[in-house]
Amino acid sequence: MITANINGIPVKVRRGTTILDAAKKINIKIPVLCKHPDLDSTAACGICVVKNAGSGKFLRACCTPIEEGMNITTHDNELHEVRKTVIELILSNHPNDCLQCARNNNCELQKLAADFGIREYPFHQLKKGLQPDYSTKIINLVADKCILCGRCINVCQNIQNVWALSFLDRGIKTRISAAGDINLADSPCIKCGQCSAHCPTGAIAEYDETEKTWKALYDPDKYCVVQIAPAVRVAIGEAFGYPEGENLTGKLYAALRKLGFKAVFDTSFGADLTVMEEATEFIQRFVHKKGPLPLITSCCPSWVDFMEKYYSDMIEHFSTAKSPQAMVGVLSKTYYAEQNNIDPSKIFMVSIMPCTAKKYEITRSEEMFASGYQDIDVSLTTRELSRMIKQAGIDFVGLEDGKPDHILGDYTGAGVIFGATGGVMEAALRTAHYYITGENAGIMDFESVRGLKGVKETTVEIDGNSIKVAIAHGIGNVEYVLNKIQKAIAERKEIPYHFVEVMACPGGCVGGGGQPYGVTDKLRISRSQGLYLDDEKQDFHYAHENPYIKKLYNDFLGKPLSEKSHKLLHTFYNPRPLYRK
Amino acid sequence: MKVILLKDTDGKDREGLFHDKVLDALQKEGISDKWKLVRVVDIGIYNRGVALKILPAGFTYTDLTEEDIPGIVRKSIKEGKEIKEKISSVKDKQVKIVLRNCGVIDPENIESYLETGGYQGLKKVLFEYKPEESIEELKISGLRGRGGGGFPLWMKWNFARKTRSDEKYVICNGDEGDPGAYMDRSVLEGDPHSVLEGMLVAGYLVGAQKGYFYIRAEYPLAISRVQKAVDDAQEYGLLGNNILGSDFSFSIEIRLGAGAFVCGEETALIASIEGKRGYPSPRPPYPSVKGLWGRPTVINNVETLANVPVIFTKGGKWFSKIGSPTSKGTKVFALTGKIKNSGLVEVPMGITLREIIYDIGGGMLNSYDIKAVQTGGPSGGVISKEHLDTPVDYENLQKLGSIMGSGGMIVIDESDCMVDLAKFYMNFCVDESCGKCAPCRIGTTQMLEYLDSISKGKASQEDIAKLKKIAAAVKKASLCGLGQTAPNPVLSTLRYFEEEYLEHIRDKKCRAGKCKELLEYTIIQEKCRRCSLCFRNCPVSAISGNNKEGFVIDNEKCIKCGNCFEVCKFEAISRG
Amino acid sequence: MPKLTKDNLEAYAKKAAAHKVKDVIRVGMSTCGIAAGAEEVYEVLKNEVRQRNLGIEIQKCGCSGKCYAEPLVEVIVKDLPAVVYGKVDKTFALAIVDRHVINGELLNDHIFDVQEANGDEK
Repeated sequence: MITANINGIPVKVRRGTTILDAAKKINIKIPVLCKHPDLDSTAACGICVVKNAGSGKFLRACCTPIEEGMNITTHDNELHEVRKTVIELILSNHPNDCLQCARNNNCELQKLAADFGIREYPFHQLKKGLQPDYSTKIINLVADKCILCGRCINVCQNIQNVWALSFLDRGIKTRISAAGDINLADSPCIKCGQCSAHCPTGAIAEYDETEKTWKALYDPDKYCVVQIAPAVRVAIGEAFGYPEGENLTGKLYAALRKLGFKAVFDTSFGADLTVMEEATEFIQRFVHKKGPLPLITSCCPSWVDFMEKYYSDMIEHFSTAKSPQAMVGVLSKTYYAEQNNIDPSKIFMVSIMPCTAKKYEITRSEEMFASGYQDIDVSLTTRELSRMIKQAGIDFVGLEDGKPDHILGDYTGAGVIFGATGGVMEAALRTAHYYITGENAGIMDFESVRGLKGVKETTVEIDGNSIKVAIAHGIGNVEYVLNKIQKAIAERKEIPYHFVEVMACPGGCVGGGGQPYGVTDKLRISRSQGLYLDDEKQDFHYAHENPYIKKLYNDFLGKPLSEKSHKLLHTFYNPRPLYRK
Repeated sequence: MKVILLKDTDGKDREGLFHDKVLDALQKEGISDKWKLVRVVDIGIYNRGVALKILPAGFTYTDLTEEDIPGIVRKSIKEGKEIKEKISSVKDKQVKIVLRNCGVIDPENIESYLETGGYQGLKKVLFEYKPEESIEELKISGLRGRGGGGFPLWMKWNFARKTRSDEKYVICNGDEGDPGAYMDRSVLEGDPHSVLEGMLVAGYLVGAQKGYFYIRAEYPLAISRVQKAVDDAQEYGLLGNNILGSDFSFSIEIRLGAGAFVCGEETALIASIEGKRGYPSPRPPYPSVKGLWGRPTVINNVETLANVPVIFTKGGKWFSKIGSPTSKGTKVFALTGKIKNSGLVEVPMGITLREIIYDIGGGMLNSYDIKAVQTGGPSGGVISKEHLDTPVDYENLQKLGSIMGSGGMIVIDESDCMVDLAKFYMNFCVDESCGKCAPCRIGTTQMLEYLDSISKGKASQEDIAKLKKIAAAVKKASLCGLGQTAPNPVLSTLRYFEEEYLEHIRDKKCRAGKCKELLEYTIIQEKCRRCSLCFRNCPVSAISGNNKEGFVIDNEKCIKCGNCFEVCKFEAISRG
Repeated sequence: MPKLTKDNLEAYAKKAAAHKVKDVIRVGMSTCGIAAGAEEVYEVLKNEVRQRNLGIEIQKCGCSGKCYAEPLVEVIVKDLPAVVYGKVDKTFALAIVDRHVINGELLNDHIFDVQEANGDEK
């Protein structure tokens, strides 16, 4: 343990603790800008500078370990002057057009400028004049607004291991770009949106499709329907002042109806359906040996994109089941339309997702048009929805809880936990257990798959069968799992896992690229907790017990992996080049 | 070998009278067949009238008159006696330790190095001293890092030595980037083995088995000579396994820079070797604890390493006797600028600037007075002429607002503009800033904008305060030494020459005549022949008039392109 | 080439101590010298010495610090001190061979340094 003084207050911390964290312990907040709790410090901005008695040198609190006997001053006139000047310098190289920026009112630079009472731009305004990159129509790179904190690069290279983003040029000309100075759409980018989730300013933001949605909602010719993903309900509250992780499912249903949607569905229903199809797939491969193991989940479109680009030799391991959103989408224009006598060509299907890559998924391949139309017309992020609710003048907090359209809206606890890492695996195992033994497992039987550890490896025993599973979240953690599998296959040894779940975003969908800003591990945990609590209070906890799922198979699909299921609810994969053109 | 050297050190004896006088005197004394008289270009003495040196005795006489000659020829040359009243007190002030072999040995031949006692230092360290004794020897010597940091060498090596690790590394920093500094290049080109020997000693003492030479790609000759030295050392068993029969093994790889000044900074250099973007990292942890590939790494400057073998062959105590109380040993300076003898000089620490400039450098290049001396490159500052008698060492230069740096020393005269100088260095920093941290990236660009507008007469009074404000932020909040020292030239020139800045701002005048936009062009009516050549060549029609009444330049319209000045055949246009 | 041991390194040390300098011409061949034209001077000297069968070695050396006077050529022949000529061009190089090496003459107005030839270093 180290003992030191900060602003005259003694503090005792473990060796290796940074000055920033040590100060937090005694409720001293040192201002930061480029530091993000998820990431190692890049030490780029120079705002967190502090002094140690006896030296005129400034130290960066975010990365300097506090040492025995240090006498740190975090705030004095000189430090304040220097910090303010650094902010003014950053602002002198920034467009400062907050009023038309994607991060207006929600920007870390804006907040810092406000806290420091910036009232003038004392220096020359240096324009960057860089072209924005809207090529993906999912993630916008507005390099002019970039303050070069390095977070996006750190995330894309070190956490996600995708290496699509890079710094180019040097000095004042440094800019972020897809590596190789190409369009993001032509790069290995998997659209996971973690870059935008970590960006402190409006430099990286989602491609806003709310206008498109408004247009459809106001079009008398269109029949607008909506589905809402599991992870959204425990995060939307952050935009309205609710505590972290609060489950606002009922209010969301009500708000969506007030927005003008004629039917409100729940992607958790789709999740239950995915479990049915995928668990059946797993039984086929594991019990009946009809297909290679391990089976790897495919409901995460970033993960699918990554696999098609980097590990296309493992395509045969992928579950061909579509993602929950895609399943609800196709059914809304077939099953739902039929049942309610609505012309499917008039249906406008909107999905609200914690995810940016879902915008990519909806036109990914021709199977996304299995209904005969584009199954999902627009995919919006949680952030876009919160803006729409505000634009519509809906008093979210004052809403009475609403209800979904049961046909594609009722879900079990198994479906809703899809939003947390390990959730898909847990839900699938619950149903696999039933398929193998004829009985239901306890709902906490597979608890070992929960939690934020990057790679979770465990074995579950079902009726004498040892099923080895692995759950990875954050694409950076996938390499370990895949290499282990590939090595075993190459050496003709026993495969290390039978069933693998991958989520591209750390924490799973609760930490998705489209969720409200400011994600930290603490938030990931509270949001996941919200989902697990929802599971506990549901009437049903097993996908196969969902009455509306049973009805769907009875009346429409037949059974899991039937011909109709395959046509509507399954998809194919193809190798894709890392770099286009 | 009886030789008489003759030099008219202040150029007043245009007709060469003294040469003839000496010849006559030699003849009169009957010894003209025994002595060779030669007029030399440089006798090591400057501005001391006619000087004469007699070899092999070594008697040197200065400020001679024609009347002195016969007496000197008889007494000192013929009779070999010293004439005490006339003997010159001027001594050669250079002490060649680092440059001991440069200009003497063949740098491409290892035998040449061995024959001057090369690798004897390594031998002592391997076989005669215990490692702790070697470290102690370095401590006694007082050798401090010559790259600019001035950190005690023994301490840096000791940190690395004491840190436990499976692998450790030694890196020689040959990324010399200061404009005008080329000491390291000359050592690498002229005596590469001395640096290699230093690295081997370092490797043995810290426990490293691998070394890297990081040389900037713009030094191809240095690279090829170092490569040859490494290859030869390998062949002779001075690299590889069991060096000189000991149990010490060491190998060396050469890595090239790629045009980034920032990669001379330790942590950026490490990133470069690791194949990453040349960005510095925060320190602590320091490289000697956690450096290349996360292992203990010592990084030393070329000049520092070249000193190491001598400390062991001649002893740390011997070394510590040279220099000043806080700064032991010598320093190689690249003496350039408005100086007669521009080149490399190696002097003991504690020598004054005046001695360097006038006793070694030969004095000012032309008729302009000295104004200041710039030391430390883009990280340093200026020392105004009032301080020329300051003994040069790390602490003294810092007190004056400059730094020793790697050894750049630029002599500035009255025809140089201090604003222009600050602008030059700031431009360099803007170009070379890696861009990682906001204070340096944006702060230096802003400072350059202000300096530029000052040099163009477009600045306002508050701009100096703004410059100082930004300088404070850049100095304190930058991540690495490049940013932290980038404001030094500005702050230093403001400290001693603020009036010059104010002249640019308030009076829109550049007294040195360097800032183009502030020059005023005027037609000297008395010289003007009314040929209208200037009128016809002005691109903005700022000249008006006719062949009868003459011409006049409108300074409001004038864009200071200098065309009229260039085309006038009668030197009738003045500029200033 | 057998590898050096600490003992045969001694032999070099002894040779160093004895320090007999034989006749040699050294041409400054660092970047400063080469930029000023030293490569040409080196070639001219080598050819001339070979053609005239003079048995004096032409060596490359590094930068002694007198960069303002490059190309520098140091001439060490017996009975004369070591003389450093500066700003040497092709023509002057030939004069050095002709008059200094062969004739033992010291050439006026080109000398930048003179030392005792048995290497009394400063």
